Amino acid sequence: MADILAVRDVRKTFGDVRAVDGVSFTVRRGTITGLLGRNGAGKTTTIRMITGIFMPDSGDIQWLGEAASGGAYRDRIGYLPEERGLYKQMKLVELLLFLAEIKGIRATPAVRKKIDYWLERFELTEKRDAKVEELSKGNQQKIQLIGTLLHDPELIILDEQQSGLDPVNMVLVRNLLRDLRNEGKTILLSTHMMGEAERMADEIILIHRGQVVLEGTLDEVRAGFGKNTLHIDFDGDGTFLSTLPQVKHASIVNNAAELSLVEGADPQEILQAAIGTLRIRRFELAAPSLEEIFIDKVGTETLTSTETVPSGVVR
Amino acid sequence: MNKMFAVFKREYIQAVRKKMFIIMTFLMPFLMVLLFMLPSVMMSRGMGTKKVAVLDGTGQLREPFTTAPQKKDADDSEVGGRGNDLTAKMDVEYVDARDQKLDQAEKPYLDRLRQEKGATKLDGVFLVPPDAMTATDAKFRYYSRSATDFITQERLASRANHAVEQNRLVKHGINPADVEQLTTDLKVDSVQLSKSGEQKKGGAANFIIGFMLTGLLIIPSFVYGLEIMRGIVQEKTDRVVEVLVSSMSASELLIGKILGVAAVGLTQISVWFIMAALLGTFGATTAALAGENVMQLIRPMTFVYFAVFFLLAYLTYVCIYAIGGAICNTEKEAQQLIGPFSIIMMLPWFLMVAIITNPDSNLSVAFSLAPVWGPLTMYVRTLVAEPPLWHVALSILISIATISFFFWITAKIFRVGILSYGKRPTVPELWRWLKVA
Repeated sequence: MADILAVRDVRKTFGDVRAVDGVSFTVRRGTITGLLGRNGAGKTTTIRMITGIFMPDSGDIQWLGEAASGGAYRDRIGYLPEERGLYKQMKLVELLLFLAEIKGIRATPAVRKKIDYWLERFELTEKRDAKVEELSKGNQQKIQLIGTLLHDPELIILDEQQSGLDPVNMVLVRNLLRDLRNEGKTILLSTHMMGEAERMADEIILIHRGQVVLEGTLDEVRAGFGKNTLHIDFDGDGTFLSTLPQVKHASIVNNAAELSLVEGADPQEILQAAIGTLRIRRFELAAPSLEEIFIDKVGTETLTSTETVPSGVVR
Repeated sequence: MNKMFAVFKREYIQAVRKKMFIIMTFLMPFLMVLLFMLPSVMMSRGMGTKKVAVLDGTGQLREPFTTAPQKKDADDSEVGGRGNDLTAKMDVEYVDARDQKLDQAEKPYLDRLRQEKGATKLDGVFLVPPDAMTATDAKFRYYSRSATDFITQERLASRANHAVEQNRLVKHGINPADVEQLTTDLKVDSVQLSKSGEQKKGGAANFIIGFMLTGLLIIPSFVYGLEIMRGIVQEKTDRVVEVLVSSMSASELLIGKILGVAAVGLTQISVWFIMAALLGTFGATTAALAGENVMQLIRPMTFVYFAVFFLLAYLTYVCIYAIGGAICNTEKEAQQLIGPFSIIMMLPWFLMVAIITNPDSNLSVAFSLAPVWGPLTMYVRTLVAEPPLWHVALSILISIATISFFFWITAKIFRVGILSYGKRPTVPELWRWLKVA
C-alpha cells in the first residue's frame, strides 16, 4: 500500500514554545492511523500544518509522494477539528451545502441526494429542515461529521472525534469509520484516548513534546514491548501488588490489576505472592495495553498541561 | 474563486434575511427624517410658552411688547439665524415701572422667577432701564433660570431695540408713520452660484437634506462594520473558522466576507434610491410649494457620488472592524477595542456643521483628502459645493489606496488572529504578526 501522506521533519515554533520539533511519519492509504499523544504534545499543530492552516517553519508535507505547497491537496482532505462548531443560525441543508462548496463541490442535485443519504444514515432525516441551533450537541457533532465527508475526501482527519458523543453514537461513528476504511479511505485519528486508538487504529504514531517517540502497526508496537504485562482479577485487598519488587508500574482498579513487570521478572513469583492473600479469578501474561506503552514511553508526568495555541502566535 | 463565492453568497444571504437588515432598509430613511425634524418640532412645540415679565423703566414700550403683530414675529428670524423654526411662544406680562426704582420693582418678579410652580411662575424677567431712550450706554437686563436661554433673551432684546430705535427716530422729528417702514428689516434669499454660471436657490432645507444624506452614507458603515466584527468573533467562538481556513486561504475568506457584506450595503442603498425616486416627486413638489428649492441637491451626480463614497467609506470602516474582530475573542472586548477608533473615524461627522457651512475651507479640503475621513467629507463637499474635479479624483484614489493598505493588514492579522484563542495580543505581538504572517 502506498503512502498517501508523508510528514517530513516539520517544525513549528510559537514564540518560545517549540510545538512541533522535527516530526516525521507516513500515513498509508487505506488504514486507520492513530496519532497519539498527551494534550499539548503537538498533535493539533501537526494536523494544522497538514491541512494547510499553518505553514511549517521547516520541513515539508508530501501528498502521494509529491511535495505539496500551499495545500493544493486540501480539497481531498476532510477535516473535523477538535474545536468544532457550525453556523448556528443556518439551516442544516444550507450549512451542509456551504461546507461542500468551500471544498469546491457545486450544489448539484447529486450533492443534495448525498446529504439525504448521510442524514438518513445518521438518523437525522426528520431534522432535515431544522436550524443548527435547534439540534442537540451530539446531533451537531454528527452534522459536522457529515460536512467532513460530503466532498468524498480521500483522507479523513479527525481530531478527538469521540468527544461529546454518547455511547450509541460512538458505536455509530466507529462502525462508520471502519466502513470508510474498508471502502479504501484513509483515516487519521488524533486522540489522547488510548482505548479508542487500540480499538480503531491499524497503525499508531505516538507524539511527545513535539517529537515522534513511537511508530508502527499496533501489533508491531506491542510485540516490541514483549509479554511483560500481568492481568490479574482477584477478590480481596490487592493494593500490596503495586509494592512487589518485580512490579515496575501498576494500575489497580476495583478487583483488577494491570502490572507491568521489571525486565527479567518471573511472573510465577508474583502468582505465589498473590495466592496467599487473594482469591485469583484470572491470571494472564499478555502484551501491554497501549495505555501501558504510552506511560512507559512518555513517563507519568502530571497530565494537567493543556493544548492551547499561545496568543501572539507567530509562524 | 468558487470558495470565495461560497463565502460571499453565505454572508449575503444570511445578512439579507436578518430582521436587522429589513429594519435598517425600510426604517432608516424615516428615522433620519425624524432625527432631523424632531429637534425643531420639539423646540417650537415642546418648549411651550415662555412667561416673561417686562419691567419697563421708560414706560413707553407697552405697545411693542403687548401688541406685537404677527409680522413682527417673523422679523425675529434674524435671531440665531434659524428663525421660524425656533419660535417658542412668549407670554409677556408688561409692567409700566416708569416712576419706580427698578431694583425695588424687580423683587417680587424675581421671587416669582424662583418659584417652583404655580400660575404666577415666571420663566424670565426683562428689565428696560429708564434711560434706555436717551443713554447710549444703557443696558437691558434679562434674568432667567437657565443661563442658556439665549433665544428668548435675543428675541426680547431685538424687540426692545427695535422699539427704542423707532422712538429715537421719532424724537429726531421723523414722521412716526414713516418710521415703521424705514426700519423694516429685509429678508435674505440665499443663492448658490455654480461654476457653470447656473444660479440655484439654497436654504435651510438644503442644510437638513445634506445632513440626512451624510447620515445615510455613514450610518450603515458603522452598523455593518459592527456586524462583520460580530460575525468574525462569532466564527471564532463557534469554532467554525478552523474548518474554513483548512479549506481556503485567509485572504479568500476575508475577501468573500467583506464583499458579501458590501453587497448587502449596496442592496440597501438601492432600495433607498428606489424609495427616494418614488417619494422624490412628491417631496420636491411639496418643498417647491413651501418655497424651498431642494432640487439643487437632488440631481443625478448626487446619487452617483453617494454610491461611490458610500462604497469607499463602507470598505474602509469594514476593514477596521474586521481587524477588531480578528484580534479579539469576545464581542464585548472587540467593541471596547474599536470604540475609540470609531470616534476617530466619526470625526468629520462631529465637524459636519463646519464642513457644510464652509465646504471649501482648508479644514474641509484637508479632511476630504485624508484617508479614512475622505469619503464622508468629500461627499459633503460635492453635495453643497462644487469642489474641483481633481479634488474628487484624488480623494477617491487616496481612499482606494487606504482600503488596499487596510486590506493587506487585515488579511495578515486575520490569518494569524482568527486561530488564536488566547489573550488579546499586545501591540508588539501584533507587529510580529504583520511581519511574519
